[in-house]
Amino acid sequence: MPSSSPCSIRALWILSSQDNVAFSRRFPVVEKRWRLACARENERSESVGYSVLPLLPTDPELVSAFSERKRREGSAQGFGIRLAQSTQGSDSWVDDPITRHIISLSIKREGGEEEFMLWPLVLHTKGSYYIIILPFVEPQQFKAYEKLCTRSDCGGSVGEEYSLSSLLYNLPCITGAIMVAHTVGDIITGDVVDPDVVISSSPSVGGLLDSLTGSIGISARAKPVGASVAASSTSGASAVGTIAMDASKSTSRPIDKDALLTFLSSSMPFGTPLDLDFAHVSVIKAHGFSSSDLPPAELKQPAWKPYLHKGKQRMLFMILETINAAMYDRDEIPDSISITGQVNCRADLEGLPDVSLPLSGLKNASMEIVSFHHCVQVSEHGDDKQALMFSPPLGNFVLMRYQALCGPDPPVKGFYQLSMVSEDEGAFLFKLQLMEGYRAPFSMDFCTVSMPFPRRRVLSFDGNPSTGTVSMTEHSLEWKIVTSGRGITGKSIEATFPGTIKFFSRTIQRGPSLPRSVSRNMVEEDTHSDAEQDTANNTLNIEDNLMEKMNKDLESVDLEEPFCWQAYNYAKVSFKIIGGTLSGMSIDPKSVSIYPALKAPVELSMQASSGEYILWNTLGKCPSAVSPKVY
Amino acid sequence: MEKQQSMAKQPPSPSLSLQEWETLLDDFGSGSPARCARWLPLPLLDLALNAFLRRDFASHLKPLLLLFIDDLLSSPTSAPSPSDSLPPLIDALRSLLLTSSPSASDPSPAPAAALLRDQFMATAVSAAVSSLDAPLDASSAALLEPLVEALLTVTNRPNHGPDRQSRAAACECLRELESAFPCLLADAAGHLWALAQAERTHVAQSYLLLLATVVRDIVLRPGLLSSPTSILSTSVPLVPFSAPSCFLSHPSADRDREPSEVNLREIKRVLGFLWERPQALTPAATMELVSILTSIAGALEQHVPTGGALLKVQFSGLIYSYHPILCHIVLMLYSGFPDAFAGEDERNIARRLALMAREAHQPLVFRLLALHWLLGSPRLGKGKDSLAPLAPRFYPGVFDPLALKAKKLDALACIAASLDTLEMRRKGEEDGRRALIVKLFQDGLVCISAYKWLPPWSTETSVAFRTLHKFLVGVIPHRDDCSEEPQLVFLMDSIIFSTLQSMLVNLALEHHGLVLVIGIFIDQLLKCKGHQSVGERLLQKLDEHLLPKLEMGYRLTSYFPIFERIAENDTIPPHGLLELLMRHIVSITVKHGPNSGLSLWSQGTKVLGICRMMLKHHHSSRIFLPLSRLLAFICQCYPDLEVRDNARIYLRMLVCIPGKKLRQVLNLGEEPSGVSPSPHPGSLFQVPSPRHSENIKNSGGVSSYIHLERVVPLIVKQSWSLVIPKSNMEDNMEASNVVGISDISISPSAESDKDGEMNFEQISYIKEPLRVMDANVAEILGVLRKHFSCIPDYRHMSAIKIRIPCTLRFESEPFSHVWGDGSSTFDSEEGEALPAMYATTITFSSTAKYGKIPPCRVPFLLGEPLRNRYDIIPVGNSFDEGSSHRASVNIELEPREPMPGLIDVTIKANAETGEVISGRLQSIAIGIEDMFLKASIPPDIEEDEVPGYYYDLFHALWEACGNSASTGRETFPLSGGKGAAAIHGTRSVKLLEVFLDSLIKNVEKHLASYVVSVIGDPLVNIVRNNGIIRDVVWENDTEAFVAHDVNALVPYSENVPLQLPYFEGDAENLSPVSKRTIGTFIILIFLPPRFHLLFQMEVGHSSTLVRVRTDHWPCLAYIDEYLESLFYT
Repeated sequence: MPSSSPCSIRALWILSSQDNVAFSRRFPVVEKRWRLACARENERSESVGYSVLPLLPTDPELVSAFSERKRREGSAQGFGIRLAQSTQGSDSWVDDPITRHIISLSIKREGGEEEFMLWPLVLHTKGSYYIIILPFVEPQQFKAYEKLCTRSDCGGSVGEEYSLSSLLYNLPCITGAIMVAHTVGDIITGDVVDPDVVISSSPSVGGLLDSLTGSIGISARAKPVGASVAASSTSGASAVGTIAMDASKSTSRPIDKDALLTFLSSSMPFGTPLDLDFAHVSVIKAHGFSSSDLPPAELKQPAWKPYLHKGKQRMLFMILETINAAMYDRDEIPDSISITGQVNCRADLEGLPDVSLPLSGLKNASMEIVSFHHCVQVSEHGDDKQALMFSPPLGNFVLMRYQALCGPDPPVKGFYQLSMVSEDEGAFLFKLQLMEGYRAPFSMDFCTVSMPFPRRRVLSFDGNPSTGTVSMTEHSLEWKIVTSGRGITGKSIEATFPGTIKFFSRTIQRGPSLPRSVSRNMVEEDTHSDAEQDTANNTLNIEDNLMEKMNKDLESVDLEEPFCWQAYNYAKVSFKIIGGTLSGMSIDPKSVSIYPALKAPVELSMQASSGEYILWNTLGKCPSAVSPKVY
Repeated sequence: MEKQQSMAKQPPSPSLSLQEWETLLDDFGSGSPARCARWLPLPLLDLALNAFLRRDFASHLKPLLLLFIDDLLSSPTSAPSPSDSLPPLIDALRSLLLTSSPSASDPSPAPAAALLRDQFMATAVSAAVSSLDAPLDASSAALLEPLVEALLTVTNRPNHGPDRQSRAAACECLRELESAFPCLLADAAGHLWALAQAERTHVAQSYLLLLATVVRDIVLRPGLLSSPTSILSTSVPLVPFSAPSCFLSHPSADRDREPSEVNLREIKRVLGFLWERPQALTPAATMELVSILTSIAGALEQHVPTGGALLKVQFSGLIYSYHPILCHIVLMLYSGFPDAFAGEDERNIARRLALMAREAHQPLVFRLLALHWLLGSPRLGKGKDSLAPLAPRFYPGVFDPLALKAKKLDALACIAASLDTLEMRRKGEEDGRRALIVKLFQDGLVCISAYKWLPPWSTETSVAFRTLHKFLVGVIPHRDDCSEEPQLVFLMDSIIFSTLQSMLVNLALEHHGLVLVIGIFIDQLLKCKGHQSVGERLLQKLDEHLLPKLEMGYRLTSYFPIFERIAENDTIPPHGLLELLMRHIVSITVKHGPNSGLSLWSQGTKVLGICRMMLKHHHSSRIFLPLSRLLAFICQCYPDLEVRDNARIYLRMLVCIPGKKLRQVLNLGEEPSGVSPSPHPGSLFQVPSPRHSENIKNSGGVSSYIHLERVVPLIVKQSWSLVIPKSNMEDNMEASNVVGISDISISPSAESDKDGEMNFEQISYIKEPLRVMDANVAEILGVLRKHFSCIPDYRHMSAIKIRIPCTLRFESEPFSHVWGDGSSTFDSEEGEALPAMYATTITFSSTAKYGKIPPCRVPFLLGEPLRNRYDIIPVGNSFDEGSSHRASVNIELEPREPMPGLIDVTIKANAETGEVISGRLQSIAIGIEDMFLKASIPPDIEEDEVPGYYYDLFHALWEACGNSASTGRETFPLSGGKGAAAIHGTRSVKLLEVFLDSLIKNVEKHLASYVVSVIGDPLVNIVRNNGIIRDVVWENDTEAFVAHDVNALVPYSENVPLQLPYFEGDAENLSPVSKRTIGTFIILIFLPPRFHLLFQMEVGHSSTLVRVRTDHWPCLAYIDEYLESLFYT
């Protein structure tokens, strides 16, 4: 068997939310390889009387297969796990959540009886587009999957010999295709952003393009401070109350086909990806190379550094942290706090110097996971000490990412209690302690607490906080404790907010019901006839009763959500702290050394912001997880 | 020429306008063959190339044009042959390269133009690769050579100038060609090596990859390395290019030769150069490179054994990158050289993958992938040593997406399973291990424990139950072989299973909303071949532990999904469930409030649903007792009318229809068309004719042309039968149960049957206090004793026999087709030409209780001439001319029960050719009327006393079968002296709306011999005149007999009111019979082995009331039908 590239792509489609092909590209060279592989395989297994079809669907065929899948599996992604209504031969039959991302399609040939399956298709949803990528796999691997999704038993277990896991382990092309899909997704939605590097003198430093034009310090993009914070926090709690509906995200700009074509033909001229950095491709397309772009005299230029820096030299580091917390204020459930951080870097250094950066105090910061940019060579890999040696690329890049279990005291502590006194009225109490134990230079930029009620309409509220202002929207209450511009530095404050809240009386509003393992009709049929009996001999309190009623209308969430947000009462805290990190992670600018030695100032900035920072209603139900003791 | 003609309407110019191009690209882009078809006659490639090379052509279309060419040349249908398409393409490429060469006046062309040029190179290569097939022959190679040469020229520009991107593109093109046609560039390796070393710009990566690919192909090609000259020699100039000799020759020549020293050294040098700085490549390119290096190192393993280890040293650091591709590269190396990664490295990889799944910044899909890699790796995922210590890292976090939680729980399940293997069990430390497994299980579920109170359709619930399944199945995963049995025991013993069992019971108890989900969960197991018994076991557990704990009340409805599954499963004794339902029904009946009408109906209907399920899935004998008790209670006491009615129907079905048929009936009812409701109860029991099904079963068999037929056709096309336990206790030794005609699979234990029988009696009959016997009774007893002493006890002596006369015949023509020698033709005139069967033996068997049926033998039988095929030969004429074509056969039965049934017939005979004919014939149906016999007469009765004896016997039996039960406690010894019978009478009535004439005609035709007495002048006169009924007691007084029998109208089952209302002596319009009675027939029928059927027909002008009594009540079911068929057809 000729050895072929580990990652090639047979075809790529971009579908709009209305199921039109917005873009498609096939790679004949890879397709040729697939045809040959099929012929070989069919020859090999001729006696079995079963052959792999060396076919690729046309755009309309793909679209109809895709919408058929959508119809059958309830959404573009599908169920992901095997439910009562999963059918044999479908992805959800395989019973693995990753089948929401790596799908199969059953293609019916136009006008013919022929039907064939296509696998693996990497599905990535971005904006209002579906990006579908078909990497090249060997026909045996394809057959293995086909076997998996038509198995007649009750579903696979983990330790099996021929499982989806072992397929994925042996298929780097899927990994590659997912990377391509994500890059393409960023390109078509225009989300290609460089990592932030903020320094004290200017809000943000531009990316690769800026460094070429030499406009350092004058941000090319009008980017508000903290944009990345906002972006990172959109994932979870802001999605509260929205049921992921495929159609709802349909407002988006048209695809920049030109950019996409250029990217594809430069980064994977034959379907085999070589460089997935869109910034490189677009800069090279815009600038090209002139005879003045000379390579370094002795060293070879890395592939990810097509241009060398010229001009003023300096190094900037920025540590960005996001803190996620689930605060319970209960004896039986410990609070869980975790910090995700990254060190962004920008090295405006001439030539190809190596930078060495010792990291210490990792243990103190309970640093759990550290991973690096690929330019980094990790020489020492101790528990507490790590020394990084890297040859920095041009522009902003994420030098390393880390995760710390929990830092010192969380910046916002306290509790939130909400108790329903009647079906439409509740009394609540906040008691919060902000920035306790945080001295200067820590400074809290802003802090807002919001109480979402996605399934109730707020009629009114009553009560005054000890500090800050309160505003009301249809489905939430917002309490601004610290407002931007009037941040607090070096002191801690205590804030309380007792009050009552009234809702409009409950009307049942149902969204489109997502098909789930148990159809709600089956259940409701039962509950209806017994409803009167329930209320009659009900000895539960109001809250439980209300809870139960509300839960009957709950929709199931997508597998991408951590839990059904709507089932809980909670308050979400958002804040930003500048001047330090919560994990204790830091870089000493003095210890940064550059070889060959050159003089460049090193600057460092730090900021931390909240991700999912949730105060669960102490009096209600709350989701939790067991934190293992041993680490 | 033709093309041009067809294009007459198009502008004759060789180029298309911009607009036309746009339409064309659009059409081809749509993928619809119809839209493309109109363009195909054009010389599309030439047009496209021309347009592309034109400077004034719209630049935004040029990239699309390239894509178009690419698609066009690779399309399997419309692509021109390579010899037509490649030369113009390559020419165009060369001219483009020449004009835009950097050596021209403009040293740095616009980047966009350069990009386009690079794309054109790719297009040309793509076209070449997809249109030429490896291995190439000389002519194809010649087509390729100019292309390679042009590309090499671009690659070979020794400066670092502005065209670096083009050089990279050319390298990629060459690499693609090399991959498609291995060793194409073998001779250029030395030059490429030099170029790769020299290149210092960022495109060095492309040179590196090109070099690596060429070297790999050289290494993989047998024989090349063994040549004494260096593979990196630069003796052959780079350009002009010609395909190397080794490329065209067959490589098989010197396959096994060792690589030469010099080349091994060269390869090592190249390898050292290639893996020098892995960080300098982009992640995707690193993956390419590692893949190439892996195959080189793999091929040279013998000669460079350290290759894997060196690769590991260079690349394993990539696992600490946050880039998923780089992590996968390490896995590629790991799976290629697992030995190089032993010990610490392996643990590092496992740890890193586990951590990667926790990295919140990674997109979800990569976190899932990391877990898959870990579990899918043949070494990491299996070894307990590598995974178990990582268990804490797999604990899901609160904010992990549910998909990730699900996958992490999979990993925990995997660890739990690995702790529960046989080896681990043997090792001991039982407590610690148990605690650990249970802890993993429960800790894991906490993160989705909202499933307990969220609605059952929530995603949390789905994930939770999926996890339960994974934990359970993890202990014994599915295997291809079917040796599951001992494995299952292993699973049942597992800690997970026992934990899960009790967990499910508690879940169901505490969260009734989950019951349905638990049901679906169990279904999933039940449907699986490998785990079916696990599901059954769980159901049993629920049956044992959940049912007793359930509280009565309306909440119980939530548990019906589980009840249904228990009811469906015949591995679970139904008693527990039926008792629970009984209590449930009782509690509803007692407690129901005034406004609970709808709820009552729904509850009752659901309970009946379960009953129906039981009827369908269990053998009647098993459920008979408790179910009949439950149904009886419902139809007596339940507050809802419809439920009562339905319960009555079910009860009647349970009592009257044998098991298998009952299941069929119930299945029929499930079809949408269903059985249409009919006021007549008989229609409830209509089942498909067994003849029909027999036909299907035997289609094509001997039964299609050999026929055994009843001489006297049955009046009722009986298709079902009923066997009821004997009412006297001595008969218990005989297996007695309700059995279907072909329901042979039942072998119930004697104990349960006895139990069932006794209780059944208690339900059906109300015990009366013992009476003092008066003279009348004593007389009756005397008559009965005498009668019963004449009845043989079939257990000890030969029983009463019943003969069913039949005829055997076969059709000549089809018979000869099958058995003849084929030469004979049939002439119905000549008997000699007819085929014959010799030494025919017919054997009978029946699942009905007919005792042993002796086989019949027919020594010789001639085939039927064609013309006679449909003639009916009367029985008596068995010696007429047709006798050699038909043989009369008597089937002798010794019925143990008077019941209709089917007799299966098999035939064995010799054909003229000596072949043995054997097969099944169509079954013979036995009707209830076949059982009709005259009662035997004691030897001391004179002939003229016979009518009187019958008359007395009738009255004695009539009395005994009546409601008074004066004889109920008596037993009557049977002939043979060992057994005794008791009489348990049942009564029924039937109103026949037929006219006098027809009634009398039918009685005379079919029942004449059983008539004991005719009462009433008008009737006596008519009947006497006909002269068919003779030797009976003629009586003139009708009133005397009828009057004391008013309460005879009680239906035959105490608990089931028959729907026929009859008020004797009331208003005339209600009882047309009473005053208009012409007379009465008294009919006594003996049913073997020892039962009786008594009719008292009160004959009127237009209708007749039949009072029926019997001491074998199951036969009432058939009698109803029999009477109808008798008088209405």
